Parts: sequence; C-alpha cells; structure tokens
Amino acid sequence: MRTASIVETVALVKDFGRVRALDGLRLSVAEGEVHGFLGPNGAGKSTTLRVLLGHIRATSGTVRVFGLDPWAHAVQTHRDIAYVPGDVNLWPNLSGGEVIDLLAGLRGGADEHLRQQLIDEFEFDPRRKARTYSRGNRQKAALIAAFARPARLYVLDEPSGGLDPVMDTVFRRQIRRVRAEGATVLLSSHILGEVEQLCDRVTIIRNGTVVESGSLADLRHLRRTHVRATGVREPGAVTSRPELHDLRVEGTTVEFDAEATDLDIVLASLAEADVDGLEVAPPSLESLFLRHYSRLNGQAR
Amino acid sequence: MGATLRLAVAQARRDRWQLCIWVLGISVLGLAAAAAVGSEFGGEAERAGIIAVAAANPAFLFLRGLPDGTGIGAVVFFQGYAFMAVLAGLMSTFLVIRHTRSEEELGRAELLGSSPIARSAPLAATLLVGAAANVLLSVFTAAGFAAGGLPVAGSAIAGLAVGAAGFFFVAAAAVLAQFLPSGRGANGTAAALVGLAYLLRGIGDALGTAEAGLMRVTSAWPSLLSPIGWGQRSRPFTAADPLPLLVPAVAAAVLAVLALRIRQRRDLGASLLPDRAGRARSSKAGRSMVGLAWQLQRATLAGWALGGAALGTVAGVLGPVVSDTVAGNPSLAELIARLVPGSQADVVDVFAAALLGMAGVLGAAAGVQAMLRMRAEESEARAELLLAAPKTRARWLAANLAVAAFSVTAVSAAAGIAASVSLEATGTTTGNGGTVVLAALAHVPAALVFTAVAALTFAVVPRRTVPLGWGLLAVGLVLGQFGELLRLPAWLQNLSPFRHSPALPVEDLDITAITAALLLTGAAAVLAAVATGLLNRRDLTN
Repeated sequence: MRTASIVETVALVKDFGRVRALDGLRLSVAEGEVHGFLGPNGAGKSTTLRVLLGHIRATSGTVRVFGLDPWAHAVQTHRDIAYVPGDVNLWPNLSGGEVIDLLAGLRGGADEHLRQQLIDEFEFDPRRKARTYSRGNRQKAALIAAFARPARLYVLDEPSGGLDPVMDTVFRRQIRRVRAEGATVLLSSHILGEVEQLCDRVTIIRNGTVVESGSLADLRHLRRTHVRATGVREPGAVTSRPELHDLRVEGTTVEFDAEATDLDIVLASLAEADVDGLEVAPPSLESLFLRHYSRLNGQAR
Repeated sequence: MGATLRLAVAQARRDRWQLCIWVLGISVLGLAAAAAVGSEFGGEAERAGIIAVAAANPAFLFLRGLPDGTGIGAVVFFQGYAFMAVLAGLMSTFLVIRHTRSEEELGRAELLGSSPIARSAPLAATLLVGAAANVLLSVFTAAGFAAGGLPVAGSAIAGLAVGAAGFFFVAAAAVLAQFLPSGRGANGTAAALVGLAYLLRGIGDALGTAEAGLMRVTSAWPSLLSPIGWGQRSRPFTAADPLPLLVPAVAAAVLAVLALRIRQRRDLGASLLPDRAGRARSSKAGRSMVGLAWQLQRATLAGWALGGAALGTVAGVLGPVVSDTVAGNPSLAELIARLVPGSQADVVDVFAAALLGMAGVLGAAAGVQAMLRMRAEESEARAELLLAAPKTRARWLAANLAVAAFSVTAVSAAAGIAASVSLEATGTTTGNGGTVVLAALAHVPAALVFTAVAALTFAVVPRRTVPLGWGLLAVGLVLGQFGELLRLPAWLQNLSPFRHSPALPVEDLDITAITAALLLTGAAAVLAAVATGLLNRRDLTN
C-alpha cells in the first residue's frame, strides 16, 4: 500500500452470542479516497462501521482508525470523524437546529458559514421539532451536523436512502467538496449509481466477509459485457461458442454475457452469424452486484 | 370484531410476561398481608389496638385507608387496599399507553392501520386486553386473600375492588392517550392521575369521621372523586357491598366509549397539544452532554416536583384538622403518645414525616427515571449518534447522573418547601420551616442509592435496565410500606435504603442518622463510580 491507510481491519471477527456477524473481514481505506462499502442487507456493513467507531468491540482481529484502536481510543479517533448512522433517530422534543448545534457542538462547534450554507442547500427547516421530521429530514439534520464541521474521516451509513433526487445531488456535491479538501469518506450504500459516481474504490461484503475489493476500473475489468443481437439468421454460428455465458435464444434473438478478454472472438462469430441489430451494454456495477448478491440464494449458509 | 380479537391476542401475547409479574406480584402481596395479619395480630384485642391508633391518626388514614372494624379481613383490606389499587392503576395505565400512544409515536400504528380494520380497532383491542388483565387480577387477588385464610365471599369482593380501580384507569389512560403527543408524556400524566386518585382518597380519609369507638372511619367527600375511594366503600369483609364498585366501572365504560369515539375521529398521530415551532439555534448549554440531559429531563422533573409539592401542601393544609382532632380528645393524644414511635412527637409531625417520606419515594422515582432515559437513548439509537462525538461514555453517564441527582434533590426540596410554607400559612406550626425542609431532604441519600443502582444495571445489563430500575424501587417501597406489617426479617427490611432515612421531625437528627445519611451517599457514589467504569467495557446494544 502506497498511501497511508486511514481505516484498516485485518481478520476482523464480531460475534453476537452464537451468531457470527463479521467473519475475518479485511477492509482498507486509503487517505483521501471515497470508499464504497457495499453488501446485501444483513451482510455486516453497519456492524463494521460500529466497530470502527468503537461502539462495539471486535471479538478478534485488528482494527485501526488513524492507526489507533478505536475501542481503546474512541475519544481520540472521534475528534476527526463525522458519522451519520443508517437509521437516524433524533430527540423528539429538540428542534432540528438544536440537534445540529448539539451534534456539531460536541465535536467542537460548527463552522457558522458552512452550517448556514448547508441548511440553505438542503432546504432544511431548523425550527421544527424533530418528532415532526420525516425520515429524509432526520437524515438531513445528521448530514448537516456531519458536514458543518470539517473532519478527516466521514463515516456514512447509507446516508442518502431517504433523500429525494434533488437533495441527493446536494449530498453528492458535499462528498466531492470534502474529498477535494483531502478528507477520506467511507460510504456504505445500496445505490449503485451513487457509488459509481462518487467512489474511487469499492469493497463488497457478504455474510461478514469481503467478496470483492478494488478500484472501480479493476472491478469493471472483471465483469462481463452484456450482448443482445436481433435478427440473427444463423444462430448456430454464435450459440456454439463456449465463451458465452447465460445464453438465451428466443427465435432470432440471442442474448448472452461475455468476458472482456473473449470479446474479440465473440464479435467475430457474431459477424459470421449475420445479424440485423446489436446492443452491447457496458459492464455495470449492478451486474457485478447481482452476481455476488444472487449467490446468496441457493447457497447454504 | 374478528380483527379486534386478533389484535387483542397479539397485544396480550406481547405483554404476557409483564402482566404475569404484575398480577402475581399484586396478588402475592395480598396473600402475604392476609397471612401476616392472621398470625401476628391473631387476637381481637391486638387488632382493636392497631385500628384505634390508626383511626385516631390522620397520617395513617391518609397513607392506608379506612379502618372498618377489627376482623382480620377488614384489617388487611384497610392496610393494603389503597396500595394494591395504585399498583393495579399503574399496571393498567402502562399497558394502555404502551399499545396506543407509544405505538403511534414509533410509527407502528401506521403500519397496522393500513390493514383493512376500523381506525379504532387497535384501541378497542387494547381496552379488551386491559379489561381482561383486570379480570385476571381480580380473580388472582381474591384467590390470594382466600389462600391467606380470609372468607371467600369477602375475598371475592376485595378482588373485584382492586380490579374495578384498575379497569377505571384502563379507560382513563385510553382517553389521555388521545390527547398527549408522546408515549412518555402520556405515561407520566396517566401515572400522575393514579397518584391523584390516591391523594384525593387520602385527603378524604384523613378528614373522615371516626365512629364506633374508633373502630370505623367514614371518609369525607373528597374520596368520592377517586375510584380508589369507591373501591374502599365496598367494605368487602363487613358489608360486602359490590354496588359502589359500579361507579368506577360505569365511569370506565363511559371513558372507554369516549376514547373510541375520539380515536375514530382524529388523525393518526394528532394530539390536543400541537407541536410549536422550536428554536432555530440551541443555547450554549444545549451543546453539551449535561445540557442535553437537562433538556430531556426538565419537563419530567417539573411533573415529579409538582407531585412532591402537592404532598407537602397536603401536610400543611390538613395540619390544623389533625391538631384539632387530637386536641379535642386528650385520651386519644395519650394513646398516640404511647403507641407511635418517637413518643414525644406531635401528631402533626408524624403526619408530615409520613408525607415527606412519600415525597422521598417520588424523588427516587424521578432519579431512576432520569437514568432509565439513558437506556431509551441507547435502544432508540440516539446514543450511537451522540457517542460518535469525541466525548467519553463516562462523561455521558456523569452528565445524566448529575441531572438525576439534581432531580432527586429538587423533588424532595419542593415537598419540603411546600410543606413548610403551607404549615406556616395555616398556622399549624411556626418557626420551624427549616426543620421541615431538612426532613424532606433527609430522604435524598436513600433515593440517590436507587439512582446509582439504576446506573449500575444500565452499565451491566442494559436490556434489563428498565424492569430492574422500576422493579427494585417497587421492592424498596413494598419493604418500607409493608415490611413491618408482614413481619419480614430485619435484615431483609434493612436492605431497603429507605429504612435508613431518619423520619424527621419525629425522629431526631442524631449522630446515627447523620452517619446513615453519609453511608448511603457514599454507597451511591461508589455504585455510580463502578457503573462509570463498567459502561466502558460493553458494546452499545439496541
């Protein structure tokens, strides 16, 4: 690893009673990057983030945040962390503005200019009592409190789940801003478009272990291109190729996936087969995602 | 109706253990009281002795109820009924609020309400569960009394009297749940209503007129305003008249219909008290752990302090009546002087001491509740957000402990000041206001111990904090109120911190009392320190 790791876990295990939530998780977040943290529901994303915050203690393995053990040095590490939990619950009798002041105040106080700017951009009404806020508004309050004071590391647990598309744009702008200022972001998310737009690197976990990790470019390379050919006059020329995956033939329409390395052979065989129409979909994060997620089904745990 | 029944079954299933504990706890208390009175006050003469003392002493009447002859059953009912009715009331109000306003607040009512059922069906189901719980309570309480050796017919009426009071509070809480915006607020208000019922009955009883050579007391009109007062009027072991029980039952039916109609008409989540806009910025104090703890506690504390002040005021307002009763009857004064602990004590002092002791329990409850809020913060995931800040858990706990300790002191002080002012105003006593306030504050060390124990349970067994916090306070209260009556072994009674608070001004503030106060405060401090150390060692758990 060239750059210093802001977050580093090795062989991280967390048991809740007899249930193993994290099983040898290895996560590495380099300084200055926006790191996407993906996985199906119940994969252990929130558990990992809670370990990183020192809210819960690792059963075994090493955890380092800024080079420190977050369980033993919670206060020290928290000085440079801004956190937004996945399920934001606020104090029902406090106004949104009071919540922001409290959370930012505990970290040392908000940057007044930033605070006002964020409230404006998120179109947030700080006078309403928290009990009257919708899920999206509660999330906004937590996001404003997190972004209103500069931090070295932003730990965000599915932060844009309740935001509308306009607010989501505001959120993405904030991520780009803090990244430009040199901060590191660990972003757990389900929204693939968001991850593709924002993240430099991605870690995908399932059942408490990492199944894929690397830069988006690396991951793209691993993935298959989706090809759909219509009006195929001689399907046999294509369908006999062993390089095709998930092949479907419907009349004269042929659909399949192909590895990037096999594309030349496949395209040559398509030319031979004499086609009318051709659609080639670039490898999307979604396809990778689905491949890993759907393995969950039909696999004994 | 099918849906209502199905919902009722689901709600009852959720509550099954909790209700079992309430019902068994209350009925076992009845059984133990019956057995204890039967064996300890076996002779007619002995019972006549305690009844005469009680009948002549408004403090006893206020705390316990109405003496009704010297039969064993009558003595048990006199000693235990008001207390059991309060427990039945708390069981009922907590049950109702849990399934109504709290469900609305948490958004679960919305999920349920989207299914094809009447808008008021969940409330109807809750009323059904509440009614069933109180029927069960009546049966078990009656069985407890009967098993303790009391006549079966009387036991049955006594059981019904407990259940009727409980049933009234089921319906009353259902109405409150329609009006109050939060589950916590509704719970507090409903519990205060139970306290008010006890208080009105107490005032009525203390002002009551003694008859039949001090063997019976008939209460004054204020007790007619209380369902517990009506319960007493059934006089199970002498007159065995179930008719007065119809009053709380009919009132409950009316309130239940009212609650259902309001629910059918109002919006989900709507309350009588609309949310006002808050402040756009917090005060400087609102940006710290202590500031937050204070903001969360202050409304609740105001409620507890108001309760304490009400008790204190009762001492002053009823003071003259108490003095007059005794002054007009020299033989009575002599009897009290002989039998009441601290034989030199003025009867007014005994009354004030009893009320300030109760205020001490309220103070403990305020402190315990402040600590239990930490658990709510944790289980509702706000602690996670809060503790992501660079502040230690120790600081978080310390902030809440400080607010809790302040609450304990404030409630007792409110009671003491109210008692002192009202005693002066009614001319009952003059010039010893300071003593009365000190008498109220004498209960603070014991109350602090309960607060610290709640902190310790939160640090060690977070998921059990709430039942343990309230449960231990209830045990302390039962030991204090019934330990003597049940003739529990001294060591067991001494386990309750309340036992070690001096009952000023009846007892002296001597070196023993001061040592005890210091030891209790020290114990609270040690427990709090241990809790602070242990909180760092566990995971945050939802």
